[in-house]
Amino acid sequence: MERISTHQFMTLGAAVLMGATFLPVASLVTGVGGRDGWMSVLPGFAVGIPYGLMVLSLVERYPHKNLLQISETLFGKWIGKIIGVIYILITGYLGGLLLGQAGEIYQTSVMPLTPISVFYLGGLLLVFYLVRSGIEVFARFSEVIFPLIVIALVLDVGLSIPRIEQGELMPILSEGLKPLFWGGIKVLPFPLTYILFLAGIAAFLPTGKQELGQLKTGVWRAVFLVGILDTLVALIQILVFGPTETIRLVYGLLVLGKMVEVSKTVAGVESLFLGVWLGAGVIKISAFFFTAIWGLETVFGLKGLKWDLAVGIVFLGIALQFMRGPSLIKEIGLLDDYLVLPFVSVWILTLWGVARWKKGAGV
Amino acid sequence: MKRTKLKMGLGVLLIACILFLTGCWGKREVENLAPLIGVGIDLGQKPGTYLITEQFSIPEKGGETGAEIQGRTFSVEASNVREADEKISKIAYRKPFMGSLKVIVIGEDAAKAGFNDILDFAQRFPEFRRSMYLVLTKGKAQSILNLKLGVNTSPAMFIKNNLEKWETISTYPMVNLGHYLTVLSRKSTAPIIPLVKSIKSGDGGIEYKTERKDGAEEIQLEGAGVLRGDRLVDFLTDEETKGYMWLENDVIHRLIDTVGIEESKVNFGGKVLKSTTKYNVKGKDGTIGLEYQIKASIAVDEVMGLKEQLSETEWVDLMKGAEKSFAKVIQQECELSIKRERELGLDFLGIGRHIEQKNPAYWKTVKDQWEQKIADFPVSLNVQVTIHNSGMSSSSPTTN
Repeated sequence: MERISTHQFMTLGAAVLMGATFLPVASLVTGVGGRDGWMSVLPGFAVGIPYGLMVLSLVERYPHKNLLQISETLFGKWIGKIIGVIYILITGYLGGLLLGQAGEIYQTSVMPLTPISVFYLGGLLLVFYLVRSGIEVFARFSEVIFPLIVIALVLDVGLSIPRIEQGELMPILSEGLKPLFWGGIKVLPFPLTYILFLAGIAAFLPTGKQELGQLKTGVWRAVFLVGILDTLVALIQILVFGPTETIRLVYGLLVLGKMVEVSKTVAGVESLFLGVWLGAGVIKISAFFFTAIWGLETVFGLKGLKWDLAVGIVFLGIALQFMRGPSLIKEIGLLDDYLVLPFVSVWILTLWGVARWKKGAGV
Repeated sequence: MKRTKLKMGLGVLLIACILFLTGCWGKREVENLAPLIGVGIDLGQKPGTYLITEQFSIPEKGGETGAEIQGRTFSVEASNVREADEKISKIAYRKPFMGSLKVIVIGEDAAKAGFNDILDFAQRFPEFRRSMYLVLTKGKAQSILNLKLGVNTSPAMFIKNNLEKWETISTYPMVNLGHYLTVLSRKSTAPIIPLVKSIKSGDGGIEYKTERKDGAEEIQLEGAGVLRGDRLVDFLTDEETKGYMWLENDVIHRLIDTVGIEESKVNFGGKVLKSTTKYNVKGKDGTIGLEYQIKASIAVDEVMGLKEQLSETEWVDLMKGAEKSFAKVIQQECELSIKRERELGLDFLGIGRHIEQKNPAYWKTVKDQWEQKIADFPVSLNVQVTIHNSGMSSSSPTTN
């Protein structure tokens, strides 16, 4: 069986956790938290740490098994299968929606005359190639692409500093802490989708004592790195656009990219940023592709090229289903809030609790 | 097996490259494009329509600088920008390219009627950038964009280039679309947009020579317009706009003089090297007020009316006097601006936002009646000027 190193676990985890979260995060948290919304990004992401550690403690107790297999062991076959079906449906649907979003962003922003199906097919081919190459290649791909994503983000944020409007951040906490709570709730689905991926990749993780310690550190690092980057992204948008405009802008970071000018000579660099960020989208879609095929294999025993192709067709079908950009964004929000959030938070917590109880009871 | 896999992988990768790298869709050759650089918005003759003027650049062959650009300008009456684009596309030689738009000139009538509807396209269409500039004009925007300038450039490029060197004199605000939308979203603050006007030789004491037979004109950036939402309410004078610039902490460099400020026989001219404006929201005897603290460092470049040679000590004293005179000039400009704000009942100085930033609890109690409160809300000024240097000499070259 394939294995990934602890470093690959960290970068792959960070890349999957980040995905394209930097695009909607500012609008989401500012929408509920106002001008203080940026402060809720890191705490929201931090919720991923206890959940990540719960997954690793399950890995320690049940080595080389994914969480669907562990669910079947702990909850019984049928409850385990039901959880598996929900898992496949959520990850498959979200993967398809994200493929649709990648096409929508590209077509809206930089290539409006290119047929959207070209983005879907092109993106899916890359995803398919990564998936067929296996988890090790996927991890190496992330090791190469993730630093570029970070550099592009830092450049976009840094080069936007001259555009900052005076005093947009003030007053701080004028509405108390309540908006931060709601902002944190809006961010929660991001780390929880990362947990969905961890649930599947658990079977490929090393289980030595020292390595498990490094994996735990990897979770901390990934969550803090992505949390801080997304905080900066939300912060710069509030500083430049003000809270009301931040909420109104669909992809504020792209608007910032369009405003980047260096010495009045270098401009129009948003296409370069977008090119790098396509890598982020591909990583996230690939992650959900992996989880969907792992789910099919675990629950129904379906595996091989035929079933990989079937998942690809489903992804494509979902993406093509949503030809209206605003409906797509709304659908992703609904899926995050009403399926990912309750399912993952309850499933992982219960699984970990039952495992602890059984361990305590010596079952 | 491995080789087959590798071949398959390469094949997939090549297909992906073919799909992504061709650039066939939406291909636009640059020589077939007409870059749009300026748009003018006026009210149309029919109700509900606008007179939209679009200025395209035609780079001059052999031009020495990029600024030497001739414009091709079309005006059409349409109810929206897309209708105007369609009409212009039918008569334009090249395909209009929107992404290069630099300046939007809003005519007085359109500004008074409100222009957010027609501006929506500028903030929504993905090719546009929020860094494009907004300016107002007295009269028609079409007239400004159709001017034949003395320099070999189009009016839109002229306005853009002049706006981009605003910080050398800091006498008018530089407002781009993004800034306007951010201020608009604050609700308590009235947006302000710089004013451009055409001047002929002899206007406002400015004369210039031209060889053009059709009567060359120049464009001047001076003053600003104050808006309630997206509707123009009134124009600020040059002095009132300068006051706004001080209070907004927008003065980078300024050319300033003390002529006419007081009865002193000695006057000074100088350049502001550095300026900072801070503010404090203070409560005194139960009344909340705002205090501006302006600190400016000035280099004295001109001393006029000095009739005697001064000793070093006397020169130091004279410069201390200059500090007070310059402070008085700055104070007067700020007071004019504050007075105008009170008269209009519109918070273009953003005093409400300052209160919200420093004392949000108090702001919540006054924000609903803020426009009524502006007229008598206590505002004070504390201006401190430091003479950084007095040039290359002391005293004056000629004394009687």
